[in-house]
Amino acid sequence: MSHFLRILENEVQIGALIFLGVVYVFRLIWLFKFKACRERTFAAGNEKAGIGFSLMNVAMPWAMESTRKKPSFYAQFVVFHIGIAATISATFIIPFWPSLFKIRIVIWVFEAGIGAAFLVGLMRLYRRLANPALRLISTLDDYFSLILVILFFAAGLLAVPSLYQKAEWPLILFFLLTTFLIVYVPFSKICHYLYYPFTRYFLGKTLGRRGVLPLKKANKEIN
Amino acid sequence: MSKQKIDISSVLNSPLETKSQEKAKQDNLRSVVERKLKLYDPKANNVKRMLELLSRRVSRQVASSIVGCVHCGMCAESCHYALARPEDPTMISVYKAEQVRKIFKRHLDWTGRIIPWWANARYPADDKELNRLKNVVFGTCSGCRRCTLNCPMGVDTAAIIRLGRGLLTELGIVPEGVFNVSRDEWETGNQMGVTEQDYLETLEWMKEEVRAELGDSKVEIPVDKEDCNFMYIINPREIKFDPRSIGNAAKIFHLAGEKWTLPRRGWDQTNFGLFSGDDNLGGFLARNVYEAASRLRAKCIVISECGHGYRSTRWEGYNWASYDQKIPTESVVATLVRYIKERRIKVDPSKNSEPVTFHDSCNIARSGGMTEEPRWILRQVCLNFREMLPNRTENYCCTGGGGLLSMVEYRPLRLEVARIKAEQLKATGARFVCTMCHNCMDGLADIIKHYRLDMKVVQVLDLVANALVLPDKKQKGDGSRTVPEPSP
Repeated sequence: MSHFLRILENEVQIGALIFLGVVYVFRLIWLFKFKACRERTFAAGNEKAGIGFSLMNVAMPWAMESTRKKPSFYAQFVVFHIGIAATISATFIIPFWPSLFKIRIVIWVFEAGIGAAFLVGLMRLYRRLANPALRLISTLDDYFSLILVILFFAAGLLAVPSLYQKAEWPLILFFLLTTFLIVYVPFSKICHYLYYPFTRYFLGKTLGRRGVLPLKKANKEIN
Repeated sequence: MSKQKIDISSVLNSPLETKSQEKAKQDNLRSVVERKLKLYDPKANNVKRMLELLSRRVSRQVASSIVGCVHCGMCAESCHYALARPEDPTMISVYKAEQVRKIFKRHLDWTGRIIPWWANARYPADDKELNRLKNVVFGTCSGCRRCTLNCPMGVDTAAIIRLGRGLLTELGIVPEGVFNVSRDEWETGNQMGVTEQDYLETLEWMKEEVRAELGDSKVEIPVDKEDCNFMYIINPREIKFDPRSIGNAAKIFHLAGEKWTLPRRGWDQTNFGLFSGDDNLGGFLARNVYEAASRLRAKCIVISECGHGYRSTRWEGYNWASYDQKIPTESVVATLVRYIKERRIKVDPSKNSEPVTFHDSCNIARSGGMTEEPRWILRQVCLNFREMLPNRTENYCCTGGGGLLSMVEYRPLRLEVARIKAEQLKATGARFVCTMCHNCMDGLADIIKHYRLDMKVVQVLDLVANALVLPDKKQKGDGSRTVPEPSP
């Protein structure tokens, strides 16, 4: 392995992650500078149950009409995010646990996951470009973030076999993209995962207190 | 069903009417002098004022909703505006929220401040754009929160819209209907400018009516009676347009042997602060109620059937008024459940034999958590209760929410998108649609008339009153009636 690739896989990634962490801390300080509304009412429901339900919403596609009506969209969401997890894992496995990627079945599993996510990414890009409503609300950041992640998946597909003895460029490309992604993420919509727990917590707390969440089972009978 | 499509530009470009504001200024109204009711000043730098307010007004909850959106568009098909006008991308919930979000991003978000073009962050250019924003946040959203409950990220779009409304209200850039009601509430303490004399005379009239109906001279509609089990608060609509509901309530409370009262002041449970986004107005009105209950040493506050009134008084008002809740606050529907379960009143479901369906009001179901109590009652007082689909927290808005009934300029669009609700109502095959909200009553009545549905709107109290089994000496004629009196 070349010295450049070794530095790129290790020190540069660690530096980028530290930068990401620092920016995230500032992001959260910024969010917490806004004053929180205080509840002064008697509770009708259970706040903790509401918070739990709200946070677990991502794993309960039956709980929302929007995901019930569009199971394929939810399935795409799952595949896409499994791909993200797999690709990010690869950025740690390649430098710190390379022996794992010597096992063929592991490579196949990762390639399958990342490959599926890559295809979903392309489908999502098509949807964002083809749907007039989404075109109207999409920003340059929306498009760029999605394209960046699609390229990240593509580079991951090339890098996971980790065949640096044959050619280093897939790994160099992968880790350069990873570095850029890590530095870009905190300023983009991709950092939605940082805000997700807070948005869900606040909604769950408010609606849990009111007895709205957890949702009561809708009775679907009709005469 | 009507297929007439409104030209959306006529809605988005609807001008700012200021006749009422000018009159309020000429009349030197107290609320104007005290700067509680804000007037539009065309000479002021309203964009700058808005941004200053934005910095102060955004709560952590709303800020997290603003930044948490990933533009996935999953909220699109939860909104009746978007469902009724699928060819119009400006009707989707996220687009409406974006009109507020882009201002926030430009002013308060890092990326939006440094590279605004990257994040579609933008200041409004002038008052014309603020007026357009007014038409979006007031005219194309009823604040029903259906999108909120369908958002994978938990973004509270309705709260973002309300933030936009509140900022514009501070600048006097509001629909005239919103201004008029807010003015009446600041000046008279109630939504319809009902005078104390009108109020007391209506109560007296209803008392006589109920006494005559029951043949019982002991029936009372007490006012300002201290140390009661509960203080009952009502919607001014009941005084002005539908006093039978007060009579029905009085009849039921009397038969239940209840110790109750209405307050002389602080009787209005409605609250336009919820619709206008004005927390000061919301807190003022809610505090009137809480202080009345405290003054009368009531053990509980019972709210007559009203969606936004319930939400404002039971939930939001305590926070707006910074008033810690001291006594229980409940809907009269919860009171009725208790009466029936404790057999303090007897009901006969055969008196309501026609098919009845139930419309869950947004502010009661999605924002108030109350879905099972009215259903339980309807199963006790109706022979043929049937659900509409979807229901409970997934129900569609009556389209009259968010104060839209007071905003005549948006009525054509409201009725157009009400097609979704009309189809839902028609599918039930019910003769009556029951709701526990006065706004919904009017909203649904509008839809029924516009789409020529063979239905009538009733409230839970109406059906319970109709199903009452009166004590033997109080029976009139054969004591039966199969059809509740429809709303006017």
